[in-house]
Amino acid sequence: MTERKVNDIGGLPAGPVCQDEHPSTLHEKRVDAILRILSGPKLEAFSVDAMRRAIESNTEEDYRNLGYYDKWIRAVRDLIIEQQVLSRDEIEARVEQLREKHKKVAA
Amino acid sequence: MTAFAIRPGQALPVGASVRVRKHPPEQHCRTPFYLRGIEGEITDVMGCFRDPSLLAFHKPGLPLRVLYRVRFKQADVWPNYSGSPKDTVVADIYDHWIEPLAGEKA
Repeated sequence: MTERKVNDIGGLPAGPVCQDEHPSTLHEKRVDAILRILSGPKLEAFSVDAMRRAIESNTEEDYRNLGYYDKWIRAVRDLIIEQQVLSRDEIEARVEQLREKHKKVAA
Repeated sequence: MTAFAIRPGQALPVGASVRVRKHPPEQHCRTPFYLRGIEGEITDVMGCFRDPSLLAFHKPGLPLRVLYRVRFKQADVWPNYSGSPKDTVVADIYDHWIEPLAGEKA
């Protein structure tokens, strides 16, 4: 096991922190809503601790490059598969369905 | 996060001097790397909580862990710290991550 995990970066050299505010995008709001519905008291599909653990299991490269909400939605996907809420195949099938739908709309 | 009561004699007192352990990190670890091996002082005993390193794997999080608020001198944490010697950093640390220095007892 390594000494420190990918998220444990306190004190390491880094560039300046961007502190600009920006309004939340629709995608970000949706990710937030999905997380809250799944982890909320009604479903309790997983805990905030499990969510953090899933985010921390990214590779160093993904952890650095993925956006905040992209890490969230990937972690949600991994956890609902782990907790057998949905299977990987079910998720892939639905994504494919939505891709086809968007292709038709765009055409 | 539900806090559970602390049993008499279970926790170190406020003011106790402690050192952060140098364990390898758990798969989900709440103790930052930069504090490992650093000595500090307990400023608060927050209560007993389910263990997040186990909750992270959908387990009940038992045994419960005492959560301490610990204050460290910045000059002890960072080599060549250039700020005031009075500067401190405060972190929440679970009991299995700290050891009492000589003479400190629950």
